[in-house]
Amino acid sequence: MSLTGFEVEIQREVDGGLTTEDMTLSMGPQHPSTHGVLRFVVRADGEVMKEAIPDIGYLHRSIEKISEKVGWHGFMPYTDRVDYVAAMFCNQGWAMAAERLASIEVPKRAEYCRIIAAEFNRIQSHLLSVGSMAMDIGAYTPFIHTVREREYINDLIEELCGARLTFNYMRIGGVAWDIPPGWREKALSFLERFEPLIDEYNALISYNKIYTERLRNVAAISAQEAIDYNLVGPNLRGSGVRYDVRRDLPYSVYPELDFDVPVGSGELGTLGDCFDRYMVRMREMKESCKILRQCLAQLPQGPVIAKVARNFKPAAGDCYVRIESARGDMGWYVVSDGTAFPHRCKIRTGSFAAMSIIQKVSRNLMIADLIAVIASFDLVAPEIDR
Amino acid sequence: MPVTTAVFYLLAAVTLGSACGVAFGTNILYSAFALMGTFLGVAAIFVLLGADFLGVIQLFVYVGGILVLTLFAVMLTHRIDVQVSNRAVGRLPGLVVVGVVATWMIRVARAARWTEGQPGPPAATTAGIGDAFLGTYVLPFEVASVVLLAALIGAIVVSRKEVKG
Amino acid sequence: MQELVDSLVADGFVPGGLPLWVAYLGAMLVFGGIVVFVFILPIAGITTWVERRVAGRIQSRIGPNRTGPAGFLQWLADGIKSVLKEDIVPSAADVPLFKLAPYVVMTGFVAAFVVVPFGGPLIIADLNVGILYLTAVTALVVVGILMAGWASNNKWSLLGGIRSAAQIVSYEIPAGLSILPVVMLAGTLSMQGIIGHQGWAPWTWHVFDNPFTFFAFFILFVSALAEGNRTPFDLPEAESELVMGFATEYSGLRNLLFFMAEWGNLYVIGAVVTTLFLGGWQIPLALADHPVPRIVLQFAIFFAKAYFWVFVAVWLRWTLPRIRVDQMMIMCWKYLVPIAFVNFMGTAVWMVLFPAGVPAVRVLLSLTAAGLLVAFARRVVFHVRRALLTREELSFNPLSTARVMSRG
Repeated sequence: MSLTGFEVEIQREVDGGLTTEDMTLSMGPQHPSTHGVLRFVVRADGEVMKEAIPDIGYLHRSIEKISEKVGWHGFMPYTDRVDYVAAMFCNQGWAMAAERLASIEVPKRAEYCRIIAAEFNRIQSHLLSVGSMAMDIGAYTPFIHTVREREYINDLIEELCGARLTFNYMRIGGVAWDIPPGWREKALSFLERFEPLIDEYNALISYNKIYTERLRNVAAISAQEAIDYNLVGPNLRGSGVRYDVRRDLPYSVYPELDFDVPVGSGELGTLGDCFDRYMVRMREMKESCKILRQCLAQLPQGPVIAKVARNFKPAAGDCYVRIESARGDMGWYVVSDGTAFPHRCKIRTGSFAAMSIIQKVSRNLMIADLIAVIASFDLVAPEIDR
Repeated sequence: MPVTTAVFYLLAAVTLGSACGVAFGTNILYSAFALMGTFLGVAAIFVLLGADFLGVIQLFVYVGGILVLTLFAVMLTHRIDVQVSNRAVGRLPGLVVVGVVATWMIRVARAARWTEGQPGPPAATTAGIGDAFLGTYVLPFEVASVVLLAALIGAIVVSRKEVKG
Repeated sequence: MQELVDSLVADGFVPGGLPLWVAYLGAMLVFGGIVVFVFILPIAGITTWVERRVAGRIQSRIGPNRTGPAGFLQWLADGIKSVLKEDIVPSAADVPLFKLAPYVVMTGFVAAFVVVPFGGPLIIADLNVGILYLTAVTALVVVGILMAGWASNNKWSLLGGIRSAAQIVSYEIPAGLSILPVVMLAGTLSMQGIIGHQGWAPWTWHVFDNPFTFFAFFILFVSALAEGNRTPFDLPEAESELVMGFATEYSGLRNLLFFMAEWGNLYVIGAVVTTLFLGGWQIPLALADHPVPRIVLQFAIFFAKAYFWVFVAVWLRWTLPRIRVDQMMIMCWKYLVPIAFVNFMGTAVWMVLFPAGVPAVRVLLSLTAAGLLVAFARRVVFHVRRALLTREELSFNPLSTARVMSRG
């Protein structure tokens, strides 16, 4: 039996005189709950998985290679496609890398605009994540409710930069557009409505008995394991490791802001299970609201973009920029050879790291649990392959 | 020919036809599904005879229980093995057995005193059956249930090995 | 049915000289045909519309509203669309079984309607093994689903089929054990007989007869949901896990038949719990004297009670997540079966201790149920009020309330 890229033998096992045989299932690339085009080769004994082997590469678009051909400014729209659910962070990562190489000073107002856009994007991404997680567990209603609020954020960001998904908002040296008049009031009025709604989501689904039974004690990852497998972001914090780039390696204006880093506490079962990862996202949305309120209050006056030459040539050298994306520590390693084109760009993403632990945690889970695990890692297929 | 007789022959044809399908089919799954026709036909004949409770129980136990379990077992095995799996083994001994049984059954059928009567409206037989089970035939009934329990436990012992370590 | 034909014969509507059984058979066929084409198919279709509208309100959206008034004709449009779609049979499928499976499912589902009462004398056949027959023909649905799961030659379908069979076979046991107390109380298996044993008033219903039947009612409803593959027991067609379970490879009319059976089954569930526990079509006798308005009233009350449970099932579907397959089995064998058995034995003991029943307990239980309903209504009043909002109020936009720049 040949499966592209994998040779999974049908395992015959003799168990007490009866010969049993495993079933090999190919979950994806077209499957309703693989969130894009992921593929898992599942070796299952009935409903119980022996293992799930992730198969990546279905969404590889050579984005890193493209950077070498389109120049520093021209690569910005491509970064949107690295993680289309949270494109602001990719924008920011690229902009920060280029700025560091070319030693460009970003105006204060631009930094605030970036954080505002990024935190709205974080809420947006987490809303999609928790909603689709509920849908994967079988509850359709929470998804529609979270997408309803996500729509308002889309509206806000559309007003800010004209796009609803692939924003292309940031520029090297600042942001493309200043905050439009009246936008601040709208953003505040949205936050006014949204913050109580997080509690409503918790009442609607988070503590539903069936929901918690599906999530607690499933695929628990210990703190050591999470660090060993290089998990980042909410997946790492779900295991109780209090690590957040915004707090521990602060960038932009985060040092001026006051916010907490929620971590999983194993409140309903083992520390680091699917429920913990889910709840970390729920709590992070609250923290994002807090950050947004501060940013909107402190927003200084001034220009939103520094003067950057159209064809600027950063000095030869390399840099590694880390930012806290919605899916965790996102690393941009960019090498410049002193020309108008980057020499090499490598993006390190959270989903890719999370993908590597799935094979380990999926052992002896039910097939239905694999869905919960995929959803709890908040995998976004384009971010894995790039 | 009275209608009931016609209906009887129709049902008998369905029953025997699907029984032949079970016996002669080469695909074990088709045989299993053909068994459904046999069970349904037998149930219908029971109803025709005024034993509606028995007919429904036939449906309940055989179609809902035994047939589903059979299908279950067949489906959990590998597909390739299923296509031609219901091979005929030992035609000659089979013919001998069929011949003996058929002769014997025909003799019994000829020797039996058949009572003929007009089919009336089906009367409720449930209470009678229940009384018989828990009155006249309580001992065989209880013995049968103990035997079934023993079979159940035996099946578990045979199929499940003790978990080691 | 029989008495209706008898009265028709007595009134001279049936030509003389015709044997009585021909009249019975003819009446059964005519009524059966009417039931299939005028009741079952539309009820299954309309339930899809109800489900989508209710789901829309629950999810704070509108739902289908383009076809006909409030989108009422959506089910017809969907049906026509499904019929016109290409009927794809996968080349690797087991063709005869693949084509046969939806009809087996449909047969099992339509056959159940033979003993489903509609009101007064309206029932296709009042078999004296009625409720037993109903549980028995459900077995045909299992066979059909297994057939579909196997014949599709798709591992997801197979898993769905196996899940479904395991689920239906398992949940038949608590369902059967919850039917038994009612059968013991009524002393008959006939649907009409069971209804006849109850009265129109809630305290005469079987559900309030004693504390055991009260719990048996809920166990029956839960088990019936599981047998009908409804959320939270929709594992056989769990979209996020098994794509669409046993129906994955089906398209067009055959797919429609599966879903018609599923939605139609909801009504059967409602009708069964109404018949067994909730007094069926009983109305106060003083209400209507003439047979025609009486039958209409009986039909209306029965339909209202049965459809209420359809609504509850829809409500549950759009509220609850799905349980896992091992949890489903644990729930059945470790909780529902023992509780159902206790109910069964308890009812027997109760009947021995109080052969005439205890009116005080009946009234108390009815009041408890009313109290529960009121308490529940108070909890959901916010959501109900929100469900009744108009479209303008529903489409409230926090961004436009800032009143700075209208977005048009």
